[in-house]
Amino acid sequence: MKRNRAISAIVKKDMREVTVNRQLLLTIVVVPLVLTLVVPSVFLLSVHFAPQEMGELQELMGMLPEEMQRMGAEELMVNLLFDNILPLFFLIIPIMAASVMAASSFVGEKEQSTLETLLYCPLNVRQLFHAKVLASFLFSMLVSWSSFLVMMLVLGLESHVLTGRMIIPGISWILVLAFLSPAVSLIAIILIVRGSAKAQSVMEAQQKAAFLVLPVVFLIAGQFLGAVLINAWILAGLSMILGLLAWVLLKTSLGRVSGEMLLGNAL
Amino acid sequence: MNAVVMNHLSKIYAGGKTAVADMDLSLEQGEVFGFLGPNGAGKTTTVKVLNGMLQPSTGECLVFGEDPSRNPEKVHALSGVMTEHAQMYNHLTGLQNLVFYGAMFGIGEEESRKRAGELLRQLFLADAAGQKLSAYSTGMRQRLSIARALMHRPKILFLDEPTSGLDPESAQNVNQMILTLAKEQGMTIFLCTHQLRYAQEICTRYGLIDEGRLLTVGTLEELRDGISSGMRVRIRADRLPDSLVDVLKKQEAGGRCGNRDKAAGKTAGMAAEDNKEKGIRDLTFEVKTEEEIPCIVGQIVENGGKVYHVSASRPSLEDIYFALTAERRVQ
Repeated sequence: MKRNRAISAIVKKDMREVTVNRQLLLTIVVVPLVLTLVVPSVFLLSVHFAPQEMGELQELMGMLPEEMQRMGAEELMVNLLFDNILPLFFLIIPIMAASVMAASSFVGEKEQSTLETLLYCPLNVRQLFHAKVLASFLFSMLVSWSSFLVMMLVLGLESHVLTGRMIIPGISWILVLAFLSPAVSLIAIILIVRGSAKAQSVMEAQQKAAFLVLPVVFLIAGQFLGAVLINAWILAGLSMILGLLAWVLLKTSLGRVSGEMLLGNAL
Repeated sequence: MNAVVMNHLSKIYAGGKTAVADMDLSLEQGEVFGFLGPNGAGKTTTVKVLNGMLQPSTGECLVFGEDPSRNPEKVHALSGVMTEHAQMYNHLTGLQNLVFYGAMFGIGEEESRKRAGELLRQLFLADAAGQKLSAYSTGMRQRLSIARALMHRPKILFLDEPTSGLDPESAQNVNQMILTLAKEQGMTIFLCTHQLRYAQEICTRYGLIDEGRLLTVGTLEELRDGISSGMRVRIRADRLPDSLVDVLKKQEAGGRCGNRDKAAGKTAGMAAEDNKEKGIRDLTFEVKTEEEIPCIVGQIVENGGKVYHVSASRPSLEDIYFALTAERRVQ
């Protein structure tokens, strides 16, 4: 009971801290807005208004699964965009939200000399680590799922107006929202925490965290270059691999977490 | 049960620096213990080891029977810690900070608010309760940190330089509060400071530390007796008999005060200062007992001199500290 009260207090306090910091809030709001509203809307409008050259499309359609080949050109493009391209763009959101929150939550505490005060409370370092990871994880999920809901509303409306059809999320999105986003969030949080002993400022930690989106950028590039077509099977495979990696990282970090690891030279 | 026990406790940092060396010390419950020494002497490291923040390199320590290296969270439930590096959140108000730390100790919100209100009043921060911490002055932050350390009614309070940055009035209020906590609630206070005069006002027992080594432990009287059994006398008078001055200067024996064996100037502390125009001189010297003072004054008066000032004092903590560190350096 007492322990849960303390963990809940940390989670609430950390979330509040991010929302009252204008700079962090701006990052957290702008990136999802661009990735879930601006980019998809631009794609959607391009598909609708751009002239479609059937010759090139025919070639592309030949590479796609059979059920997709039966679709009309615009429907096909919208589906490709929504189920194969956007999920990868979307993955940047949990990575970004988790990184910003974890950097603020761990390195920020160290920067403000408040982590030591927390370490004098009757939670052991593992419980403190657990509370902090939980706060970053919940925040990342909250941002991701809210972004998805807003994207569905806006894109649904745009699609209805432009094509008269609604957009229904496929299995890719279920995999992304339920498995991939949590896994990449956890990985980002743990990597930030592991680097937090060396990082001296939130800015430094966030700059290092920017590298975490690189694998996603490579996947997006691969998708556009035709090297790989992301489908539900690939996403399911990625979910399993990254989920396992997140679990291993979490277990090993919990095993060796210490005040000195969190505070680094500050002790 | 002792509040704190340290047995051959040492802490050597990874770089090889010895911060605490072979420390043996125990504190009774309800003591106001002054842990005194200059910056870098090892005071804060000792507090961190006693609270499980750092692991001891050798030896062991217990706080109310709990080993902080094994069960730090149990020690934290019993102790309140205020150090320079344990700050609070700038984006929260004073009250919100205290309620947050109350929750960290498992105290419900309503009870936390009540307790925070009490402490804010006691530390003269009630008017600033709704202000964000970023608007607090250094002294206000310091007092809020003390309130934070007291939120869960600890059995032992570790205070690291609690009055640095405080104005004299606030420092006096904090002193009064510490004394009340010790006397009325039986709280043990472990006070780290390099301000020896401040410590002398409130502590019941002292430990003097230098370069990680505990130089001595005891009450003020015990520490005084350890370095000198005498007392320092200052006399300002005219027509001081030359014989008396010579006696003091040469640290010779006797004179007319029969029971002053080996005379007044027993130590090297004697100093004389002349005011030649009026013939007034200042003399500072040591005697063994108060009984010797009337005898010396009597000699001056018999010589037709006027005595403007006579005062006697025993060595202060500062005197004791400097004597001990000087002795250690010679060794």
